[in-house]
Amino acid sequence: MNTVMVERKEIEDFLIHEAFLINEEKFSEWLDLFTEDGIYWIPSNKDHIDPNTHVSIIYDDRERLEERVWRLESGLAYGQEPKSRTRHLITNVKILESDDQKVVVSSNFILVELRRSIQTIWSGRFEHQLRSQGGTWKIASKKVELINNNEFIGNLSFIV
Amino acid sequence: MKTINIEELVKDGAVHGDIYNEEEIFQLEMTRIFEKTWVFVAHESEIANPGDYKTTVIGEHPLIVTRDSDTEEIFVLFNRCRHRAATVCQQETGNANFFRCAYHGWTYSNNGDLTGMPFQDGYDEHFDRCKMGLIKVPRVGIYQGFIFASLSEEGPSLEEHLGHARPYIDYIVGTGPDGIALNAGAHKYSFDGNWKLQIENTIDPYHLSVTHRSFFNILSKKTGKKINFNRMHKSEKIRDLGNGHSLYELGGDLGIGALPFNLIVFPNLGFLGSQVRVTRPISVNKTHVFLYPIMLKGVSVEENAERLRKHEGFYGPAGFGTVDDLEVGFDRVAEGLKAKGPDGEWLEISRGMNREEVDEQGIITATSSDEVSARALYKEWKRLMTAGSIS
Ligand code: FES
Ligand SMILES: [Fe+2]
Repeated sequence: MNTVMVERKEIEDFLIHEAFLINEEKFSEWLDLFTEDGIYWIPSNKDHIDPNTHVSIIYDDRERLEERVWRLESGLAYGQEPKSRTRHLITNVKILESDDQKVVVSSNFILVELRRSIQTIWSGRFEHQLRSQGGTWKIASKKVELINNNEFIGNLSFIV
Repeated sequence: MKTINIEELVKDGAVHGDIYNEEEIFQLEMTRIFEKTWVFVAHESEIANPGDYKTTVIGEHPLIVTRDSDTEEIFVLFNRCRHRAATVCQQETGNANFFRCAYHGWTYSNNGDLTGMPFQDGYDEHFDRCKMGLIKVPRVGIYQGFIFASLSEEGPSLEEHLGHARPYIDYIVGTGPDGIALNAGAHKYSFDGNWKLQIENTIDPYHLSVTHRSFFNILSKKTGKKINFNRMHKSEKIRDLGNGHSLYELGGDLGIGALPFNLIVFPNLGFLGSQVRVTRPISVNKTHVFLYPIMLKGVSVEENAERLRKHEGFYGPAGFGTVDDLEVGFDRVAEGLKAKGPDGEWLEISRGMNREEVDEQGIITATSSDEVSARALYKEWKRLMTAGSIS
């Protein structure tokens, strides 16, 4: 594989697009951003854990991620009734690794969530592993390192 | 201030809304329940090595659970410097031979002994250093690796307190070829509601097919089998084990974990799915919950990983089950409790009272949609809350 320079701008645009789909509640389109073996991961208690020996807040493989999205759209997920309104601010985008097939990108986020008239600020670091597939980037892994992953947190049934 | 009469808040098959709302009742619960009975503080696997410690609370008292560096004896100490009260340990868990208070430097060994203070010239022979160690809780008991403490000098032994719950704890420990460990971290979540809502919800199969319909829809799509809740509730049992403990025996696999039962150990410990659940009252309307996945010792990493994945599917701050309980079982109940119409302040827990059976051991049984567990909880709650009452 050749090492090629992936433009930070291009990857940042991808992350902004992903956040747009979440914030606009286009969850099926968001799901389509993932590869068939994609992982959506929020570690519990600390940022660096082995998910095989330590519990995660979310460790969704593709099947469970589809179930998560199905639930959000089913009208039966009481945890999202009322719904969360969310806005992501994504900054500090940094490419950690790249070649023509794969990019690992780190970014910081602030996520403002409004639910039950309570506005909550969530923050942390994303680490996306993107894979080139048919000329576009797909998410092979999205890891969310919440800064409060060891706190007693409330209902996290929206998409981070 | 209105006068609280506990006797009047729990009647046959109903509890009054004040038990979830009144600050005064919360304070009484702290002194008459949490400071009197046995409370789970740690599992031995959480402090497996000499010098390991864990901080926790009983009621509102901050504590340190330690394993002595030399003798490996387990101590439960108040996390309060004997000089001027600063907590001496700040970490959730760790390993230390000594706790040094960062205020004036008094230093304690991990069995609580005061081993030194800076500039000792200000104390004469009346100062007995041996008496100035970290205070130990009056009683510590260990059952099958589960460490409990009691802030009361007297009362039933831990074995007596656990009573009919013991065989089920034995079973849980026996599920791993070499025992179990709580060494996979924890889910930690919070809600703005009273702690008893989480205890009630730990054994409440009546709500499964309603609150968790989406989860069971997903499950039946996956397994190709639809759960017949009507039939299920007719065959499954809930048992009042006495002392506030209760048990729900699952008739089949609900896709939420490995244990064939849910067990509540009064006042705030639960075993269900593949987890140990600890409910921590923070204030009358704030509760913290820990879910510790139970890891099996002597099985493959893959097998334990599979337990974790199953646990995460239903439980935790983003699990498909817990989030719906948070909204419906806690947030909506806390909201509804504010409506206080005439005669409308009672909550019904009478379901199945007409079909209870009592065996020769005094264990009360009815079917799994019945509110046996809530009745067991409030029977013990009332007993303790009215025992030695001053009013
Ligand atoms: S408060 Fe601890 S040394 Fe003074
Ligand atoms: Fe539930």
